[in-house]
Amino acid sequence: MKKRSTIAVGTALALLVAAGPLVAHHAFGAEFDRDAPIQLRGQIVKLEWVNPHTWIHVEIEKDDGTSEVWMVEGGTPNVLLRRGLRRDCLTPGTEIIVDGYQAKDHSLTRANGKDITFTDGTKIFLGSSGTGAPYEREMMAARRAQGRC
Amino acid sequence: MKKRHVAGAALALASVLVLPSPGTAQAPEVPRTAAGHPDLSGIWQALGNAHWDIEPHAARPALAMEPGPVVSVPAREVVAMGAVGSVPSGYGVVVGGEIPYRPEARAVRDENRALWLERDPEIRCYLPGVPRATYLPFPFQIFQSDARVLIAYEYAGAVRDVYLEDPGPPQVDSWMGQSVGRWDGDTFVVTVNGFNGQTWLDRAGNHHGPGMTVTERYAMVGPDHIMYEAEIDDPQTFTRPWSIRMPLYRNIDPNARLGQFKCVEFVEELMYGHLRRNPIRVREGGR
Amino acid sequence: MRISRAITCASAVLLMTAGAIEAQDPIPRTPDGRPDLQGNWSNATMTPIVRPNGVGLVLTAEQVTALEEGRQDFIAQDYEISDPDREAPPEGGEFTGNAIFDAATGGTGGYNQFFVDAGDVVAVFNGEPRSSLIVEPENGRPPPYSEEGRARLRARAERDGQFGAYDNPENRPLAERCIMSFGSNAGPPMLPNYFYNNNYTIVQTTDHIAIMTEMVHDVRIIRVGERRPLPDHIRPWMGDSWGHWEGDTLVIETTNIHPEQVLMGMSNASFRPSEAIKVTERLTRVDDDTINYEFTVVDPLVFDGPIRGEVPFERLDGLLYEYACHEGNYAMENVLRGARAEEARERERR
Repeated sequence: MKKRSTIAVGTALALLVAAGPLVAHHAFGAEFDRDAPIQLRGQIVKLEWVNPHTWIHVEIEKDDGTSEVWMVEGGTPNVLLRRGLRRDCLTPGTEIIVDGYQAKDHSLTRANGKDITFTDGTKIFLGSSGTGAPYEREMMAARRAQGRC
Repeated sequence: MKKRHVAGAALALASVLVLPSPGTAQAPEVPRTAAGHPDLSGIWQALGNAHWDIEPHAARPALAMEPGPVVSVPAREVVAMGAVGSVPSGYGVVVGGEIPYRPEARAVRDENRALWLERDPEIRCYLPGVPRATYLPFPFQIFQSDARVLIAYEYAGAVRDVYLEDPGPPQVDSWMGQSVGRWDGDTFVVTVNGFNGQTWLDRAGNHHGPGMTVTERYAMVGPDHIMYEAEIDDPQTFTRPWSIRMPLYRNIDPNARLGQFKCVEFVEELMYGHLRRNPIRVREGGR
Repeated sequence: MRISRAITCASAVLLMTAGAIEAQDPIPRTPDGRPDLQGNWSNATMTPIVRPNGVGLVLTAEQVTALEEGRQDFIAQDYEISDPDREAPPEGGEFTGNAIFDAATGGTGGYNQFFVDAGDVVAVFNGEPRSSLIVEPENGRPPPYSEEGRARLRARAERDGQFGAYDNPENRPLAERCIMSFGSNAGPPMLPNYFYNNNYTIVQTTDHIAIMTEMVHDVRIIRVGERRPLPDHIRPWMGDSWGHWEGDTLVIETTNIHPEQVLMGMSNASFRPSEAIKVTERLTRVDDDTINYEFTVVDPLVFDGPIRGEVPFERLDGLLYEYACHEGNYAMENVLRGARAEEARERERR
């Protein structure tokens, strides 16, 4: 990865941040409780490729041995479709690890998927962004060899 | 798609009224595009009452009923609508009269009817799917060039981009499905699949599954009329493919335009009213 | 024979000329001779709507490189493999230092970057890399509010101030309610949202242009011809548009925009239109891959002067997909339930 000069970073951030108030997409901070972090390790039982957010249902085993299904919020599937998403990319039965924060209504077993990976730490999806960068090509080839997208 | 024309040489009208060519004596006079296809562009709407119930049906007091002292009466949630909430009769648009449900699917249809208020996606302003979008009591507008076809529906701003090149099977399911169109002579044939199975066919609980494929046929039988047919193929729900058929009428009013019916905000009290900081009405148990 | 040779020569010259004219026309045309605007287009870009401090309209090559490589680095970071033995994220939230990202996620981290397609190139308009989409006022910032605009803004703030931000669904932003997109993809003017799905499908007939916005499957219908004004009290969400051709440029005029709309969102030029709003858009296809999109916003009951902008729309090599927002809107339920749960917890604390 290229090292960025501090000047470049400054300019980059200055341009990314248009001065003034930002009308956010929606208040993630209103939906999820940053004082209630979670980590889930379990199997996918259902995939909702819907808008405005994908929901991945993952079944975890609780300490008492019973199982519980959590809904994990992702982003829009439309971007993934343009990056090559197929029905067989991610299927029920797949083991995943989810980091995130629980919904503010703690009676809901729902969380945002801040980071969703396979059990080896790689992201669950990595379709090409089309930039053709070398690191991307190698990564994509390795993933396809594993049957991943 | 590139189209190159010598500047100034091709200011022909794109839409021309032509007489049928010899050998097609039955072909009606219809507007045509530069490529010679019937031009379906314009504002269209179905007449009749298919949106209430696509099967032949008598009028009834309401879609949601409950037992009354003598006969069933409109349910309390709708009784205040009076005759505005009543269901008019319809001669049906199903070819052959009856929908060929599998027995378990017919039971689901009957359950949908009994639980109409909870289950009809139209009540929640959900996208109507195909073919229901065609015969809702709202107009739609077809934009047809020789490169693209888009259908914009007034109801809920639903829209379909009808691909003229098949992009392959859809990889996620959707409410309006994926539409691929082609010309079969003068008939525009659209194959639609990739449905999520959550739409209904009308307000009478008629339903389908995600495996449904709809094959629509748009045939202009005159400059202001399309004969519309939709074949529904869903072996999980029905015992055989079956069709609906109805005319579509061009709105010839020179002032006609698609209005706006973005109904999402109309249903917020219904869907989220109980989550207000200060709800204005108490939810009835079970509804 | 000399005459026939002359005729042959003349025909050859005519053919060559015709060929030359054809070769010179850089843009595709529809059968009626108009520029063909049809296709799938994207206005995704890193360039913000409003100009940041310390830059002019046109960026230097060094600035462009720094920005675009910085964006690539930001994306690549998220592609890295996570520690499979990692702990749960920290209580109190995690903040990246990227102001946009942190504002949007509120410290919860949002979701993985593979869901995001914010545009990773600077907007290049007529060969110039741009620091802002606004070109007028010359400083690339919105003009000051007019006196009436300030008064209305105060009145609105007072009205909104009687509600908590989460009291009712109607108090939430239009995007969260799934009524319109966040940012202003459909507009008008049609602007990127800086997150994803900044895509449009244009279909063109002799007398209509239909522009389908991926967000939120909104279709703008523009009749090409005489204006047929809507009465003042009818104000559709994207207004009422009519178009005409000026040479090879399609000019779209729009009035009657819904008073609750937020135009030029995702910037501090965002505003709610008044009954006097007029947006003029000019679409010129300059080559196979580009439509030059220029817009002018005039609303004297909001701003002291016009806002003019220039946005390149690039051909999208891909499809648009259904964005059925309301149908999958668990977020609205989560936000309202969350607010009620927090209020309950607060009551218990007392």
